[in-house]
Amino acid sequence: MDRLTFDIYEVFAQTDPLAPHQHQFSLLASSPEMALALAQENFLRRREIYSIWVVRRDAITQSGPAERARFYRRKKGYRTTEDYRYLVEKWRRYKQQPMTPETMV
Amino acid sequence: MAASVRDPEEAKATPDFPALSELLWQLADDDLLIGFRASEWLGLGVHIEEDIAFASIAQDEMGHAMTYFQLLEALGMGRADDLAQLRPVSERRNSILVEWPNGEGDYAETPHFDWAFTLVRHFLYDQFEIIRLEGLCQSRYAPLAEAAAAILGEKAYHRDHQQLWLDRLLTHGAESRARVERAVAQAAQLAGDLTDLGPWGNQVAEAGWWPGADQAGARWQQAVESFLGRYQLAPPTWSCPGNGRRGDHSPHLDAALAVLSEVYRQDPLAQW
Amino acid sequence: METEREDPERVEAFLQRIDRGERIEADDWMPADYRRQLIRLIAMHGVSEIMGALPEKEWVPKAPTLYRKLAIMAKVQDEIGHGQLLIRVAEDLLAPLGKTREDLLDDLFSGRLKFHNVFHMPAPTWADAGIIAWLVDGAAIITQGMSLSSSYAPYVRALQRIVEEEGFHIQHGESICMALAEGSPSQRKSLQEALERWWPALMMFFGPRETDQATSHQQANLRYRIRTKTNEELRQRFLTKYVPRIRSLGLVPPDPTLHFDAEKGEWVYQQPDWNWFRQIINNQGPRSQARLTLKHLTYEEGRWARAVLAQA
Ligand SMILES: [Fe+2]
Ligand SMILES: [Fe+2]
Repeated sequence: MDRLTFDIYEVFAQTDPLAPHQHQFSLLASSPEMALALAQENFLRRREIYSIWVVRRDAITQSGPAERARFYRRKKGYRTTEDYRYLVEKWRRYKQQPMTPETMV
Repeated sequence: MAASVRDPEEAKATPDFPALSELLWQLADDDLLIGFRASEWLGLGVHIEEDIAFASIAQDEMGHAMTYFQLLEALGMGRADDLAQLRPVSERRNSILVEWPNGEGDYAETPHFDWAFTLVRHFLYDQFEIIRLEGLCQSRYAPLAEAAAAILGEKAYHRDHQQLWLDRLLTHGAESRARVERAVAQAAQLAGDLTDLGPWGNQVAEAGWWPGADQAGARWQQAVESFLGRYQLAPPTWSCPGNGRRGDHSPHLDAALAVLSEVYRQDPLAQW
Repeated sequence: METEREDPERVEAFLQRIDRGERIEADDWMPADYRRQLIRLIAMHGVSEIMGALPEKEWVPKAPTLYRKLAIMAKVQDEIGHGQLLIRVAEDLLAPLGKTREDLLDDLFSGRLKFHNVFHMPAPTWADAGIIAWLVDGAAIITQGMSLSSSYAPYVRALQRIVEEEGFHIQHGESICMALAEGSPSQRKSLQEALERWWPALMMFFGPRETDQATSHQQANLRYRIRTKTNEELRQRFLTKYVPRIRSLGLVPPDPTLHFDAEKGEWVYQQPDWNWFRQIINNQGPRSQARLTLKHLTYEEGRWARAVLAQA
């Protein structure tokens, strides 16, 4: 008997307007419309849904095992607040409160 | 139109109350039976992903039924579960379309269910339910208007799902198209009572329980036939082997209710 | 697939990744044996979810109240959802072998692919639906919880979704069982009978206690960190969690020897009939054939609809 072949769709969903689209899972479907209709009840039965993306898997260019190894990078404290923790102590000397992410804005 | 009624006691005191309760029986029984039929598919779907999607539709319909039975309970008609499970067939007000089996055979043993019929039947029902709910959102009975608005929110998904499938089946090959055609012909012979408003039909619209009830049948027929027309399917002749709105049902309803209430009947007073 | 000779150094490097606690992805190179063991385990887990929906499914249209009808529908729907997740993971592992979901289901129907022993049992009363959701799911979550530390990342991602839903399943089961335990004498009796019916299946759930010669599959799975605990460890955990709760509801497990041996630090229990277990897993259990027939029949009758979906 003939083997039936279906397309694999990757499903991404946003649960509220400010949330990023997050990968949910994948499913088999016959068309993007069908994938969309199936996605919400397959993967988001208990979540709020704001938006869903379905993408045919073969339309995604993805990094593979080799890239996974190459994604390695050394720690770069100068890119983060990590290297500036000493400022807390300095501000104290100036008798000022150090800024926090909350008080900055 | 008369002012909105919120209090169940006040609703019961109006002269048009029989029309309201009759309407609620139709609503509750329709959703109970269509939900029951959809629930029989659980675990047997044509495709795993589809099994899951259709199970949500079954739950939604059963949930709608529960809401209507609770409205009846609030009107002092009895406990919701008693109303859903213990009323005799002659008191049931659902359309024959929704009580009809999904196909031959028992759901737990050797079911030969017809997916095309299931989709067509549900689509016909969705179309009617949406038109009915749109009117009910303006119901003079405020608790019903509020319930209708909430329920209507779930219906677009149902209709879209059914349409998506029917579109696919009607446009991808002669075999599946023929199956849909057969299903339409079969459903047309069952759906004749769907738009019947029952013995209190005139009062339903006049009393404002369901504004627009008098045009609902024509609107439904037009919506369905225009959908069929998109696929060059001729408008069917609508008929029915009885009239569920008047308690004249097929033997399939007895069988369905026996299954549906098998456990509850063992002890309706128990906590389950 | 031709099992081409694998470079021993490559295999060794892979095993080192496992030992470092790294997670493996579908597109990583993996030894054919690792792939085989994963397929074996995940395909079986996936079809067990699908077949496992059937005993409870029998009670879906019959559930006693409107509320229970809704809840059990949602529960059984989740189980099929678990099947979907796991079968998708298995499909991605099968793809390089040129196999699809259809092959996997064909293997189920032909008996080459087994489904879990617990789902071959009859569920003749509503109380059985309660015991399944409470105790069978309770056992399943113990295995699945262990598998969260599996080395295969796509499996773990599926399991994270599954375990989240099992929390609802168990409480759904607890709620049914408590209502029956607190109910009329005949409700209590039906619950006790259901427990007795399911007890041997629950004792068999995790498989036989490992002997000194664990099977090659078990050894391989431990080596690959596909699983991290033995059958007996899991069963002991189940007994510790559930026996006191079962007894607190006034239920009596049908095993007069069942007790916790404080000295040995483990539960002593009557061994289930392991010959029967072997019959069951070979589809010779009380409901094996009926459930396979039900699933196979509806699968075949749905083929025309799937064919329409599969067309471009
Ligand atoms: Fe599950
Ligand atoms: Fe579960």
